[in-house]
Amino acid sequence: MRVTVLDGWGADNAPMKVLLEEEMKERAWQVDSFVLRNTKVGGCMGCFGCWVKTPGICVINDAGRDIARLVIRSDLLLLVTPVTFGGYSSELKKAVDRLIPLNSPFFKKISGEIHHKPRYGRYPSLLAIGSLPDRDEENEQIFRTLVKQNAINFHSPAFAAGFLYGTQTPQEMRETIHTLLSEGR
Amino acid sequence: MGTTRKMLLLVGSPKRGKSTSESIGTYLLEKVKEKGMEADRILISQSISSRDGMEKLLRGVEGADIIVLTFPLYIDSLPTPVIRALEAIAEDRKGRPDVRRQEFLAIANSGFPEARQSETALAISRRFAKETGFAWAGGLAFGGGEAIGGQPLEKAGGRARHLRRALDLSAAAIIEGRSVPETATALMARPFIPRWLYTFMGDMGWRRKAKREGCRSRLDRRPYG
Repeated sequence: MRVTVLDGWGADNAPMKVLLEEEMKERAWQVDSFVLRNTKVGGCMGCFGCWVKTPGICVINDAGRDIARLVIRSDLLLLVTPVTFGGYSSELKKAVDRLIPLNSPFFKKISGEIHHKPRYGRYPSLLAIGSLPDRDEENEQIFRTLVKQNAINFHSPAFAAGFLYGTQTPQEMRETIHTLLSEGR
Repeated sequence: MGTTRKMLLLVGSPKRGKSTSESIGTYLLEKVKEKGMEADRILISQSISSRDGMEKLLRGVEGADIIVLTFPLYIDSLPTPVIRALEAIAEDRKGRPDVRRQEFLAIANSGFPEARQSETALAISRRFAKETGFAWAGGLAFGGGEAIGGQPLEKAGGRARHLRRALDLSAAAIIEGRSVPETATALMARPFIPRWLYTFMGDMGWRRKAKREGCRSRLDRRPYG
């Protein structure tokens, strides 16, 4: 199974990151991981060049292009981030914004709403793991809805969202990660 | 009380040229200024790229009675530069006592005809306000933003009729220090043309833009396929 990880975690998420990496290693997945705080990814400028100038390829030639190429060839896209006002941190979002070339500009009705048509025949499933200091119903609800909507817009065949809490013991975190990665398959 | 309140408009579009977020924000800003309210404008993308710019943004936020954020929907959420600015504002306000009431109003626009697709982005904006001690003045969403395409709203004709009316009502609420009324939210969300016509014209628009760019490839090609 090919997996692309977009890692928006900060330095203080290091213990969670170690557990996640161990769990992925055990599964013998083929993983491409981008530690976004160490990766220069230019911001999407909303120029639509990836739709009308160089279709399917962002006009910015940097790691954002590698991310899009690897994501579309993956079976699973794994997003990890501190839950930030219920959504993704700016570190994760800078990579997610650059996935727009993977869609076609043309419109299509999906579940009664207008979205952009898929450009490719198949897309990865989507799994998002948000970290929080503690349980937070409102934040979690916003995050789950965001992931669900992303899955519609990125034509993901399956999706899941889950949370790791600063209050959890390492063993509890490991169990949560184990369960989430099993869902991600 | 109207003349003493101060508004700060934060324009959240990452676009280099004109943007619909700027059109919406500027229309609102001019309306409150006409009534004697003090109002400034900051373009987030430009400001956060320098230390001075970020400092100016943070001090602008500190000094305003109401912050109005206008932004385009980027993948169901706020564009990266806006999230970065909100993270910086949250950090800046940490540990500061709320000395006075400050309000936060968010106005989203998207290229999808359904305004409701911006609900999650507005929920994120609202949660930001809650975490950082702003009173929530409302969240509005406009669908079909491509039809405005960064034009001044006064020149956008019938396409912007509901939008202008919603902003007029919002301006009145801002001046009086009230939350934006439900009627404004509903008006802004009201489609200005049938959905099939919007998508038909939108699809034609992409082909026209590609031609203008001299694009010779098929728009649905699969470079990573």
